Amino acid sequence: MPTRNTSPMVRPGASGRAVEGGDKRERARHGAARRRGRSERFAPYVLIAPAVLIIVALRLYPLVLGVNFSFTGDGEANGTAVGFANYLELLDDPLFQTALANVGLLVLLLPVAVAIPGLLATFIYLKVPGHRFFRSVYFFPAVLSPVIVGAIFNLMLAFDGPLNEFLGAVGLGPVDWLGDPGVAKFAVVGVQIWATFGMALVVFLAGFATLDSSLLDAARVDGASLRQSIWHVIIPSLSQTIQFVFVTTMIGMLTSMFGLLYVMTSGGPEGSTYLPEYYIWIQQGQMNRPALASAASTVLFLIMLVVGLLQISVLRRAGRED
Amino acid sequence: MRRLAKWVVAVPMAILALATIYPIIFTANVAMKTRREYVLDRFSLTESLHWDNVAAAWNSVGMARYFANSLFVVAASVFLLLLLGSMAGFALSRLPFRGSKALFIGCLAALFIPFQVIMVPLSRVMADTGLIDTYPGLILAYVAQFLPFTVFLMTSYYRSVPKEIVDAARIDGNTVYGVYRRIMVPIGRPALLSVGILDALFCWNDVLIALLMMPSADHRTLMVGVTSLRGQYTDNVPTFAAGVLIAAVPVLLVYLFLQRQIADGVTAGSTKG
Repeated sequence: MPTRNTSPMVRPGASGRAVEGGDKRERARHGAARRRGRSERFAPYVLIAPAVLIIVALRLYPLVLGVNFSFTGDGEANGTAVGFANYLELLDDPLFQTALANVGLLVLLLPVAVAIPGLLATFIYLKVPGHRFFRSVYFFPAVLSPVIVGAIFNLMLAFDGPLNEFLGAVGLGPVDWLGDPGVAKFAVVGVQIWATFGMALVVFLAGFATLDSSLLDAARVDGASLRQSIWHVIIPSLSQTIQFVFVTTMIGMLTSMFGLLYVMTSGGPEGSTYLPEYYIWIQQGQMNRPALASAASTVLFLIMLVVGLLQISVLRRAGRED
Repeated sequence: MRRLAKWVVAVPMAILALATIYPIIFTANVAMKTRREYVLDRFSLTESLHWDNVAAAWNSVGMARYFANSLFVVAASVFLLLLLGSMAGFALSRLPFRGSKALFIGCLAALFIPFQVIMVPLSRVMADTGLIDTYPGLILAYVAQFLPFTVFLMTSYYRSVPKEIVDAARIDGNTVYGVYRRIMVPIGRPALLSVGILDALFCWNDVLIALLMMPSADHRTLMVGVTSLRGQYTDNVPTFAAGVLIAAVPVLLVYLFLQRQIADGVTAGSTKG
């Protein structure tokens, strides 16, 4: 961060030089700057143009184009308007239904995915022995690619892999983590949480850095238990951070699990681990149904909008009541 | 918390830490074993560091090629992201101009468009312009994907730079471009480092964009290469693990040396947003 005292250091020297009119060269330079200033009126636009062009051409335009696509046909009907046919087909497709149901599951599991890093960040903030080490270790999986995480857990969760070996040692039967339709989706979500809780943890710790520690001290002097402190001091003070973590974790679950699904389950077994993003990929890349995929994209976008807005309004209301 | 209570909490936290690193250590250990060792006992510590697996993964399935592809694409993407992001961030934060606010809001909105939502039409656009399956195409896709984030963070960083510095440099006879080059780029170094590392991680770790934009085999990036390893080495787990290790080591190194900058970048949005 630039320090505040840089400005008084620079300002007197620079403006002083410009005002001292005696030096011809200085005056000439000043005049030149002014003339250039006029011709540089467009400089801000020149500086920002490449970024704007790229964002408009490769993000905003495709968004509009995609919504448009979703109302046209695939294959022989390519390019012709078909109304809501793609959307109706989506709702009829059991794979897409599973994908939506799994989104519901993710929303239900969201509080867990936020509470775990929140609690761990609280303990790290309270300087549990080894807190620096814990912080470094917990954060590491968050920088690994989902592909690498997925590959590692393919080994860990294999039927004859370490996890089942461990369970066998404590007398529990082997579980077909990635082969049982009822289990696989929980296994994948579990891996996703393993891979990303460090990210939320670091965000929580940044929130704690802004927390007024005298509040916590006061609570402790008043004899508050840890649970009371968390409930009455930490959660209200960090409501903004919590809100941010909720929204980013949800976005992460809806848009960054492709790598895991691709490597760990390919949507299976029996399509039980489909998510909208995987469905879009399959329809576009394997089934050659870009219009149908676009309809799924639009649904995903709407889900994200709704979930994001809902969360913000719910959390805001909760924050006000406190 | 009392001191005793802290120690009590530290025990499950240590177990969790172990659970966090064990999968990585397990994979590294397997990568160093011979196939025979692995089949006999996959949990024992490897008897010797068996680098042949790493060499096999590196040479036989084109991991070397994929590694070079990734390195090139990531370097070019990050360079462009930082250049365009800091230019736009400077204009949006320190140069008053008409429409500046609307552009900033538009940029924020673009931040919330996930790639999955635009991937179908984007691949159509790339195909129409002949950019699909080319390096410039993939680089452009990455720049488009992470530019809103980069612009957002550079703008909020440059807002903390005192206006007087810019004014003084202008009065000193610098053009706007001169101010950018001589003042904003050097002053923005900490933010450029943080954002650059994050952008590099995003690009390096991505698999979906690369799969979509680079269909042909010799254009694969490293992460796409890792996904193809799985099919080729189902019966040779140590070599598979070695391939995974090759892909993970650069990230591990970056993490060991630049952990603070990564955390700074991740949290920059949370406190200002």
